[in-house]
Amino acid sequence: MVKLAVYWTGACGGCDVSFLELGPALLDVLAKVEVVFWPALVDAKVEDLEALPRNGIDLTLVNGTVRTEHNVEMVRTLRDRSRLLVSFGACAHMGGVPGLANLISREALLAEVYGAGFRPRPPAGGAPEDAPTALLPAAVPLSAVVAVDYTVPGCPPPPALIGDLFDAALSGDLPPRGHVFAHEKALCEECPRTREERVISRFVRPHEVLPDPERCLLDQGIVCVGPVTRGGCEAACPRAGMPCTGCLGPTPNAGDPGLAMLSALASLVRTGEEGEAAFATEDELLDALADPLGTLYRYSLPAYWPGAAVGRPGAPPRRDGSQP
Amino acid sequence: MDEPGPSDPRIVAFLCRWCAGSGADLAGTSRMQYPPNAIPIRVNCSGRVEPEWVVEALKAGADGVFIGGCHPGDCHYVSGNYKARRRIHLLRRVLAELGIEPQRVALEWVSATEAARFTRLMTDFVAQVRALGPGPYARPPAGAEPELATAGPSATATATASSGAARPAERAAERAADRRAPW
Repeated sequence: MVKLAVYWTGACGGCDVSFLELGPALLDVLAKVEVVFWPALVDAKVEDLEALPRNGIDLTLVNGTVRTEHNVEMVRTLRDRSRLLVSFGACAHMGGVPGLANLISREALLAEVYGAGFRPRPPAGGAPEDAPTALLPAAVPLSAVVAVDYTVPGCPPPPALIGDLFDAALSGDLPPRGHVFAHEKALCEECPRTREERVISRFVRPHEVLPDPERCLLDQGIVCVGPVTRGGCEAACPRAGMPCTGCLGPTPNAGDPGLAMLSALASLVRTGEEGEAAFATEDELLDALADPLGTLYRYSLPAYWPGAAVGRPGAPPRRDGSQP
Repeated sequence: MDEPGPSDPRIVAFLCRWCAGSGADLAGTSRMQYPPNAIPIRVNCSGRVEPEWVVEALKAGADGVFIGGCHPGDCHYVSGNYKARRRIHLLRRVLAELGIEPQRVALEWVSATEAARFTRLMTDFVAQVRALGPGPYARPPAGAEPELATAGPSATATATASSGAARPAERAAERAADRRAPW
């Protein structure tokens, strides 16, 4: 029996549910593993985890962004008790959607959600250690806190990639450390849509149109980040008429996925004959791109711009109006 | 002209070989004077300058990045300068949203004969970047206490370490870590 642990840090729970997508194959997996720790599934306590010997868990999957001091403590404990630690899902991999909160300071974030002047403190009559855990200054990917052996990307990871991980882990036939369980080629390679124009003459958001079912979404002005994103999901979103948002992370060649896509978008933009006469309309078109950071770095802001929230002297006011 | 001091702006200049790079050469052979803050990197075309290079320069500690290309209509490869213009326009928008002054990145047209224009643009850009202060990932001047210790690039480390000024050596390690891909 392979001893398995699954843990969530700053997560939505979708990664824990994603295992169900394995279907009948899940029964084969469950027959071969012993779940020693999995807060969503079994009633093992933190004390039970701490009581395990070093490397007492064979395989640990951590999903979620690392956002609190408690998250850091837990993943360090899990790292110590695990032979293999897997970064599971886009949040653990690159910071994920919750990582976009890095665009405002921790203080502004707490004030926005809980009201001005909020400080985590224990409930009335409680001991100091009953206080909610403190937020880190910024969300960080799992790999910023502990060494990660493998990555299963995705929001949530597609069942085929989860299956690949279990096939490897349960057979003992493991890829080299650092392997990412997704394709090295871009999502476009497995997308059935046809690419023709290679020109964007206006940006359209998904809710504004019913896209043509055959043509490339980029050709239709819908920002699809498939060109810089790993394949491995069979292009599930573009097949369903929605653009790829980049959850599997960049291909090994793309480097920084936001900048690679920025470059591609800017190259494709045309408002007629290229030249000085078109500069103003091109700028207007580029300025109409909605929420560039949320579009280009939807899952990856903490991984590529680790300093975005921290602020520095002399910087312009941030979008929340606070002085960094 | 004096070497740039530790607190002077450091600038990376990507210059296209056909126009801006030749203009800069002409400024040099004509013995024109301009601030020595820029490290020139000759590229075949401004359209070859990837936004990632600009950001890499900033992350490596540059205070500003200057890109010189051919005037509209003069690109040796027909439309490379137009692509560069659109990319830099969008990149500036992204930098602004990240809290980095977009004025740290300049794209200018300089022809092979415009040595005086190159001299003026570079002088103005150095002044502009100097007015903005150290870049988002600037190294502290040698020997100085790093007052920017919790700034920009070190979030990953400071997020888990206790607050306080990181030593320069640690900052160098963090910067190296920043350049590593996260996967």
